[in-house]
Amino acid sequence: MSEGGGHRNHIRSRLMRESLVDKEVIAGTESPVVRILPHLNVIQIGGRIMDRGREALLPLLDEIVENQAHHTQLIAVGAGIRSRHIFAVGLDLGLPTGVLATLSAKDAAQNAYMVSCLLAKHGFVYLEAPFVVQLLPAMLAAARGAVFNAVPPYDLWEHPPKIGRIPPHRTDSGPYMIAEVFGAKRMIFIKDVDGLYTSDPALNGGKAEFIAKISVSDLQARNLTTLPLDPILLDLMLNARSVREVQIINGLHPGNLTRALAGETVGSTIYSD
Amino acid sequence: MRKLSANSIPLPLAQQLLEGSLSDPAVLRATSAPADFPILPWANVVKIGGQSVIDRGRAAVYPLMDEIVANLSRHKMILGTGAGTRARHIYSLAIELGLPTGVLTVLGTAVAWQNAQMLHYLLARHGIPFIEPLEFSILPHYLAVSGAVVCQGMPPYKLWEENPAVGRIPPQRTDTGCFLIAEVFGARKMIYVKDEDGLYTADPKKDPKAEFIPRISLGELASLDLKDLIVERAVLDLMSNARHVREIQFVNGLKPGQLTAALDGKPVGTVIYRERTGANHE
Repeated sequence: MSEGGGHRNHIRSRLMRESLVDKEVIAGTESPVVRILPHLNVIQIGGRIMDRGREALLPLLDEIVENQAHHTQLIAVGAGIRSRHIFAVGLDLGLPTGVLATLSAKDAAQNAYMVSCLLAKHGFVYLEAPFVVQLLPAMLAAARGAVFNAVPPYDLWEHPPKIGRIPPHRTDSGPYMIAEVFGAKRMIFIKDVDGLYTSDPALNGGKAEFIAKISVSDLQARNLTTLPLDPILLDLMLNARSVREVQIINGLHPGNLTRALAGETVGSTIYSD
Repeated sequence: MRKLSANSIPLPLAQQLLEGSLSDPAVLRATSAPADFPILPWANVVKIGGQSVIDRGRAAVYPLMDEIVANLSRHKMILGTGAGTRARHIYSLAIELGLPTGVLTVLGTAVAWQNAQMLHYLLARHGIPFIEPLEFSILPHYLAVSGAVVCQGMPPYKLWEENPAVGRIPPQRTDTGCFLIAEVFGARKMIYVKDEDGLYTADPKKDPKAEFIPRISLGELASLDLKDLIVERAVLDLMSNARHVREIQFVNGLKPGQLTAALDGKPVGTVIYRERTGANHE
């Protein structure tokens, strides 16, 4: 080649010399995806359940243990009120979104670690992100369960959001992304409400209408001001290849998790159309 | 229930954040109020292309290395690396095996890491270290002492990479990772070193009629709807929401002096800039 700076040394492959930004090249990479862990159930325990302490959490953990014999459960735990506090302090100091994401990840890690201690005698361990990448299958084979951090490891690389400075990938996005990449059987969010409502039932009481099942696009079109999940989760679901629906259930009602794991309709279901 | 009381925290945002919903746009808008604090306003992020520069070996890398060294006393640089042809090979293989996007990110990260390691060993005699994503808290020290650090350009998303709308290639790769470093630190410049003079209306390697674009806004670029681009589309999306990085520059690493000119603030190559609009920069 006559150009300066030597020639590019290529390895022969389908994408050789191609621009990975070229729309046609990108379209040529569409093909079916394998499910890496098809029996996996990813379960997120909301930060508000965790913040309620013993009364709310212990019966839920008992229910997880009761289901251990029949279901593989990977548990993530939300960050809860401490993250709201550090967001307030960090924002006041002028710190950027990436720093807030790094700080908030520690709150969810603390919660996940406490849950792993309470489940330790049943073989559940807490896995940091690098161990989720490498050790998860072994841990699940040993105990049919493990605990991980619900905040995705975006750290300083978290996206600046469209509005404001709060990290957009929070503790609902992280578990969903793990469910999707492993091709999990189910993604269940355990919250302190029955599911999805047209407005916040804690504020609006009787006027809030329950939504049992809704598609992502319908839900986005409704433009609700409060969602029980990270809004960005809906965008992620639009690009789902494996996990096309998620379930939101009330963790304060014993039996809900068991029913959801058994495939029964409980709480709200959001599906990708 | 254990509560952190908003009254006990004398901060303007405390009540909204402790009691409001983080999906409520009113709450989110309020978080824009405090002024941004740029963490490293004198740092420059320089991304060295994988396929475009490093895969060419000595002929391209050595002169660029000399230029980096010559700038050490004048400019602080965070040097991120691209992945290149080995990533293309492993992406092809992994896609054929049916593996998902998140797994491709884990694989591609290792390729960018290899390139960063090579660059690091070439710059080691000048005291320039290689740092992993988890070691970024030591970054200010290294920049103060050595003037530069080398890191791999991929964001540390691993299995948590978002699926693309179309296809299986991870949409957020080394251009995106380097951009986000510049944004989070409020860096002075984000410079991409590639093997073209900048942005063209088509791939100049394939289309002789491709026209050069020296300066263009995000909006104008979006309206051109180019089939191919010099930068990952994710960078353009993120840039429209960025609070610090207002422009990114593309220079030809095969032409000596271009990187230096860009570091000195000269308008070489192509500049893509953000109009001052949108919720985050009113």
